[in-house]
This record gives sequence, structure tokens and C-alpha cells, in this order.
Amino acid sequence: MPLDRGIYRAFEDVVGVENISEDTAILDSYAWCGLVVAARKPITPEDEKKEGLLRYPFAPRAEAIILPGSTAEVQAVVRLCNRYRIKFKAFSTGWIGGNVPATPGVILLDLRRMNRILEINEKNMYAVVEPYVITGQLHAELMKKGLVHNMLSAGAQTSALPMAAFQGTGHLSQTTSNGERNVLAVEWVTPEGEIVRLGALGSSGEWFCGDGPGPSLRGIIRGITTPQGGLGVYTKAAMKLYHWPVPSTFRIEGVLPHYTPSEIPPDVMIRYFSFPSYEKMDEAQRKIGENETVFALMGFPISMVASNLAGSNQEDVELFARLRGMVQGPGFLVVVAGASQREFEFKRRVLEKIIDETDGRSLEYLDDPKNSGPLLWRTLRPSGDAKTICRATGYFGSIFPGHSQFLPITKHTQQVMNWKAEELIPKGLVLDDGGCAFPWTEEHGWFAHAEAFFRFSGTPESIKAVQQTVGRAWKLHLQNPVGVPFDAVGDQLHDLMGPSASNYHVWLRKIKKAFDPNGTSDSARYITARE
Amino acid sequence: MALEDYKRDMDMCIRCSVCKFIPLEMIKGYQHVNVCPSITKYNFHSYSGGGRVNMAVAMLDKRIQYTPKLLEIIYNCQMCGACDISCKDVMDMEVLEQLNELRIKCVEDGYTVPVLDRVMSNLRKHGTMMSGEKFKHGQWAEGIDVKNFTKEKSGVIYHAGCRMSSGKTLWRVARATVILLQKAGVDLGIAQEHESCCGGRAYQMGYKEDFLRQAKHNMERFRKSGATILVTGCSDCYHAFKVLYDKFGMRGDLEVLHTTEFLDRLIKADKIKPTNELPTRVTYHDPCHLGRLGERYIHWEGKEVPGHIRIFDPPKEYRRGTYGIYEPPRDILKSIPGLKLVEMDRTKEYAWCCGAGGGVKETNPEFALWAAKERIDEAEATGAEAIVTACPGCEQSLKDAIKDNRSLLKVYDIVELLDKATLRGGH
Repeated sequence: MPLDRGIYRAFEDVVGVENISEDTAILDSYAWCGLVVAARKPITPEDEKKEGLLRYPFAPRAEAIILPGSTAEVQAVVRLCNRYRIKFKAFSTGWIGGNVPATPGVILLDLRRMNRILEINEKNMYAVVEPYVITGQLHAELMKKGLVHNMLSAGAQTSALPMAAFQGTGHLSQTTSNGERNVLAVEWVTPEGEIVRLGALGSSGEWFCGDGPGPSLRGIIRGITTPQGGLGVYTKAAMKLYHWPVPSTFRIEGVLPHYTPSEIPPDVMIRYFSFPSYEKMDEAQRKIGENETVFALMGFPISMVASNLAGSNQEDVELFARLRGMVQGPGFLVVVAGASQREFEFKRRVLEKIIDETDGRSLEYLDDPKNSGPLLWRTLRPSGDAKTICRATGYFGSIFPGHSQFLPITKHTQQVMNWKAEELIPKGLVLDDGGCAFPWTEEHGWFAHAEAFFRFSGTPESIKAVQQTVGRAWKLHLQNPVGVPFDAVGDQLHDLMGPSASNYHVWLRKIKKAFDPNGTSDSARYITARE
Repeated sequence: MALEDYKRDMDMCIRCSVCKFIPLEMIKGYQHVNVCPSITKYNFHSYSGGGRVNMAVAMLDKRIQYTPKLLEIIYNCQMCGACDISCKDVMDMEVLEQLNELRIKCVEDGYTVPVLDRVMSNLRKHGTMMSGEKFKHGQWAEGIDVKNFTKEKSGVIYHAGCRMSSGKTLWRVARATVILLQKAGVDLGIAQEHESCCGGRAYQMGYKEDFLRQAKHNMERFRKSGATILVTGCSDCYHAFKVLYDKFGMRGDLEVLHTTEFLDRLIKADKIKPTNELPTRVTYHDPCHLGRLGERYIHWEGKEVPGHIRIFDPPKEYRRGTYGIYEPPRDILKSIPGLKLVEMDRTKEYAWCCGAGGGVKETNPEFALWAAKERIDEAEATGAEAIVTACPGCEQSLKDAIKDNRSLLKVYDIVELLDKATLRGGH
């Protein structure tokens, strides 16, 4: 149903005629969500009976696309949505399906025009950004000042705004932890159109703290798995900064796809270690975390190292065949960096001892700087993630048991990967990438992120197999909860998971009801106020 | 291949937005991260490479019909290929080929833009896509003693191109090129009044049949001349002769060189000696069709190998801009005594377009000017006194922006500088 002309003109008056459209050509380009994630989860017996689990790459069309250019415009649009009872959903760079409406009747706010870095405060070590500042931009500016922020492994093309993050975890999480730990003050347009300034911003106009002096609503605005457009619009936010132990200039040479650093700085090192068993790998990761030994740690199985290094799928196939014979089992990638040679040497020696104690083996292929240089840079600036995840097959599915204690979630993920290795790969239902899990520690080794990762070609059989495995993983999770999975979005999944996790879903509903009484902020990937 | 033949490629679009930015490894700061003029100006996702691909799927699925907006989106694109290159940093899929096929489909379906129809009508009538001021091909060469290759054999053809021939202010570049080459002992011929449009821009605009007709006509003439090398100073022509003619199996053995490649060879062979000091600081603008799109066409026919990872039999090599013509123009500049070359943030395979390509100069001159201004700002930020390029289209577009911006930046074709460095007083 097209918007009423009067309402459309009211939106137009706010953002200008050039920043709103309801043309079907524009709407359909926004409706495309690709073939990335096996979205539906056959968890309940009713789900399993349903036909048509296949996913059509187009989501429901939005009613209109609006490009607000400022907080004031966002506020005005949101107020109009409330006045006319129209659902809205805002997104920043918009990757992986979370940016599309799940139902018709929603207008989309593409925050692309809000793209300024507002402040880099070196003294107090925070940066303030708008939603469409991309990670690559902020990283490049921060490097010049010897600083770095928590960068998402979704890639340098995605938003740097911490509240835009689905989970906010990445290559540097060993040092910087995850999204929720990095949010300082936030400017928030509530679902009713009020502008709320959280943390220090609420009382002083400063951005240095998320918890005050001023209202601390960090937990409320984030929820358990972030509202993903279901609780208003985050228009500005500050995030913590950290010391960048790598030189401030990192010269990259070559022409695509062979970008490589001109040299590897003296106090920086990248290594890949493989282990004879998951137990040994887990032990190594825990010790590395406890000893604060590395700057970056990414739980890549060797197949993902191959995908990151390769310039094409053809190279990927050949390189993976070579590298898988050079590893002894599961593994991970680390970057060691020191602010001084002494610090670097100390860390390097500690790492060597840990690897020795855990029977780890360093991948010789990376001893050659020609091989390791590009991987180092694409780890320090997360710029190879789209290809690592998606180039091989176009489709991927991932099972995230959620942020929680390291061992329980890695055990869960490893179990799922055993299903993949023993059942899916032999039947040719997913890509044979060695079937290894994808975990990494955070916060001194006790906390972690883990994924069970599937790449597959998108045949009906492969989609069905992955969806069934996702459903099976959820059931395992419900029997033995180890955290709230990141893909817990929408009423059904929150209602399933809530009772196993302090009934968080009851609180989410209360929050939704209190802040969004008209239900205008699209709840499809959050929760509705419905009891 | 028709648009529907790319359906599997289109399905691979993961909407990651990498096509909107320069390759992520190469981002140097907040500024100059955008690579696509269209999405940078118009902001809606549809104006990006990925957005257009998504829209094309919707068209093939018959979810959307032709609307004025759809055509406006399709044609507000310089076809500069920047999205294609950035995408190929992370994916194995074609983008620019699809955008081209999308335009071809529009023309075949009878949905065109009137201003482009007029341009094409001019091509059909007069053999040129330049409209407005009347001009005669070859007039630029008056007074120069150079062979007419349509009448006498010559080893090397120099093709000035419509833009160079039609703009009097650009004639000095063509004249200097001929004189430099002749002094280096090159057996050179031009077509004089018989020169005809390469047809490359017709193809970019979606008029494939017109392009093929031009290509056939030109190749017949080139073959008769007996020349083995064709040299052109226009990047659009270069791309057409070298890449598009080859794509359609029409180039044969003719070697196509851009003047910068040929002159660079001659300098390295000591046949041209830049000896005059030019104490100036310049930056170099890579024309899209010489740079990222200037690499050879790769013929491939095969099929996808069944399985999960998307590979082909025989293996498919993608054109990723790796072998574009980047170093010859830079080497020429570096060979000029006293001249200092400083680089812009966006160079080589991820250079920002001058704004004039893909018919945008004709359909939306304001947008073309806006894109050129962005480039001028970037050039000014280097502290250069001049921006040097190797394409008359880029030169004109950049000049327009400088005039509009009241910038003090000078614009040169690389040949002009070499000429100054080689012969006192130039031409």
C-alpha cells in the first residue's frame, strides 16, 4: 500500500524531495538481502512441518526509503511515524539481513548521510561518530594518532558506531573485548521521537562515560542481542579507544588483488598455530588471554586463512589443499605487537612457551613475509572478511551460542562442528572446509565468542541441511544453555530462550512497552510489547 | 552474454557495500573513501554497483517494470568500473559487465534516454558522437606533414578520437603527439577526414549494435592500412580498440597502445629524451578506461564446477584492474627533469572518475561536473600546481570543474608536458 500522499509530503518536507523515495526500483534494491544467512530455524515440531524453508532473496518491500541527514531530521521522521502509526526501521551500513523489514508496512531510514567523525579525544581516549562512519575511516584516522577502536570482524566497510553493531566482536577483541564493553555516551532518538542523551552527555555535554553523570541506560538500549532497529535510532555514540602498538603509517603496496605491506614492522608478528585437539587449542587460547600476550586473536580454521589469503576462489581451493596438509588440527591466528622491542620480545617469548606447552605448531607458510604481510594487514584492518566469509559460496550460515564463558560455548560450538564434520560434509551438503569451529577468547581468556560456521552453495538440499542443523543447535542450546545466541531475534526466539536466561524476555518486553507504546519501531528483529 | 546469463553472479551479491568504497586495505583517512560517484551523490543504495545489480535481479524476476526513475538510476552512472574493481577485492563476480548488459537490455526493450538517442543519431549520420559545434576529423593536423594511412601504407596508426578532434583547445595534444612520434622515427599515419568514432561510448551507453557497426567499419580500414600498431591518446578509444574490439573478436592482431605506453617505450629506448627542466609539482589522474579498465580482455568459455565453492572449468580469470596501464604515464612524468609527481589518495585501480563517462556528461552534466569537482578538490589537497591526465575526455571534464570552482589548478595532457620537456617552445 503506497503511503497516503499527505503523509509522504510530510516526510518530504522533513528531508527534502531528493532524500525520500517510494519508487519500486529503489525499494527493491533495499529489499535485497542476498543469500547470506539461513534465516529460519526449524526448532519447534510445528516449524519442522512447515514447507518452504527456502529463503527468497528479497525481503518485503519497505513503504519508502528516507535518508535523514541529522538527528533533528531523524526525530522529525520518528515523530511523524508515531503520529501516523507507521512502523520505521533505521540502519547504518546494513549488511546481513538485519537492515530489511521482516513485514510490509515499514519505512526504512538509511542513515548514510550521517557520516561525520565528530571528535577524536586523544586525552580521554574516545571517539564520537555518526552511524555511517565506516570502520576503515575511523581506523585510518586513529592510527595516525597511535590509537585504535574495537573493530568488528564484519569488515572495514561496516559502521564504526558501537550501537550499530550486532554483537561488536572482532579481530581485536582479545584487546578491546566486544561492542557492549566499548559504548560510552550515546545520543538516542527514542521510538517516540524524544532525543535522549545518555551517560556523561546527559549532564555535561561530554562523551567520556556511558554510565554517568547522567542517565545510564546502556543495558536498556542494547538489550540482550541489540534491538536491531527495534528501539528507536542511535544517532551518535562515543566509544573507547586503545593504544595502537603498530606504527602509525603502514604502507601498502601493489595492485589489487595483491596488496601487501612494504615491510612488516619490527615489533609486530603474525602467526597461525594449529593443535592436535580442541582441548589443547582451548588451553592455549585461555593461557594467551590470561597472560595478555597478543594484540589480536582470530579463531580462524585454516580454511578461512586460505580464503583470506587467496585472490580468487580458484586460488582458495589450491591454497586450502596445500595448507590443510600443514596443520595438525584446529587452530587460530594471532598478532603480537609491542610498544617497544622489549615488550614485543617478552610477549613473543611468553607466546612461544604457551605454544610449546600446548603442543601447538606454527604454520611455516606464514614465516615468509610475502605470505604473512597481506594477512597481517587484513587482520589489523578487518578488510578481508567479506571474502573470507562469502566469496567461496555466496551463502553462509553461522551458529553463535552467544557471549559467555569460554569453555561452555566452545564445547557447544565444537559439538555442532562435529555434526558438520561427521554428517554434513560426508554427504556433500556443505563446503568441506575441514569442519573446524571458530572460537576466540576475550577479556583475559575467561570470556569468548564462538561460531559454528557453514559455507554452502545454496541448493535446496544444502539450505535445508544447514537450517536443520541450526535448529538442532538451538535445541541443544535450550537443553543446556550457555548464553543467549546472537541470532535470538524476534518474539519466537526470545520467548524460547528467555526462560533459560533469567527471563530476560520479560524485561525486554517491559522496555519495549515503556519506550515504544505505539509499537512504531520495527520489532521484527527485536521483541514486541505483546504479552 | 545477456543480462540473464549473469543471474548466478547477481545472486552472489551479499550486499556488503564494499562496492561503494575504495578497496578497504587502501583507506588512508576519513576523506576520499568513496569510489563510486553515483552513490556518493545520490545516496540511495540503488545508485551503487550492488544496488543496480539487486535492481537487475528484480527486473529479471519481473518484480519491477521500467519507470523513469529506473532509467534515471541506470543512466546516472559513469560506467567507470570502480564498483566492479572494489567488489572483486572480495568476491568472484562481475559487476560492470552486468551494468553494461542492463543498459543494452534497456535499449533492446526500447527504453532509452532522449538525449542519448540524439547522440546516437549523430553517430549514425556523421560517424561521431560529438554534437554541437561542427568539426571535421583530421582538421587538427593541418600543416603537419603526416601520412594518410587510408592512401598510403604506414606501420603505426595514430587515432586522435572524436573528442580530441572536435575540441580546438585539445588539438595541440594531437599535434604534439604526432611530432614527438615522428621525431622518434615512427612510421605514422592518420586517417585525416576519414577518421571515425571508435564506438566505445555507444557500447557503454547500451547501444551495442551501433558499437558493432563502428567496430566493423574501423577494423576494415585498419586492416587495409597494413599497420600493426594503433596508437591513441584517448582512453575511451583505447579501451574500445583494445578491450571491446577484442571482446567481440574483431581486433585481430592489431596491437593497441595508448600514447603513454608508446612514448614510454620510446623514452626507455632513448629515442625521446626529455631534457628540459620543468620545475613543477603535479598529480596524475588515472583515466578509468586506461587504468582499471585498460587491461586486456580475457576470453573465457566454460562452466561452473558442481560443488559448493564457486569455481569454473576451465578456471576463470577475472579482470580486476591488476594489469591496467598505471606505470607508463607515471614513468613518463618521472623522466621529466625537475618535475615532481605527488599522488592523490585515490589512484590507479581505485581512482575516482572524472565524471564524464557512461553518457553522464550528456544526460546529467551537473552530475558530471560535481564528480569532476570532487577530483579537483582531491588534487588540490596534494599541493600540486597541476593535474595531469591522459585522456581528452578527462581533461575537458577537469577543466570544466576548475572553471566552475575558480581553482588555480592547471590541467595538462601528459603529452603536453613531455613535449615541453623535449623541444624548446613546444608546438
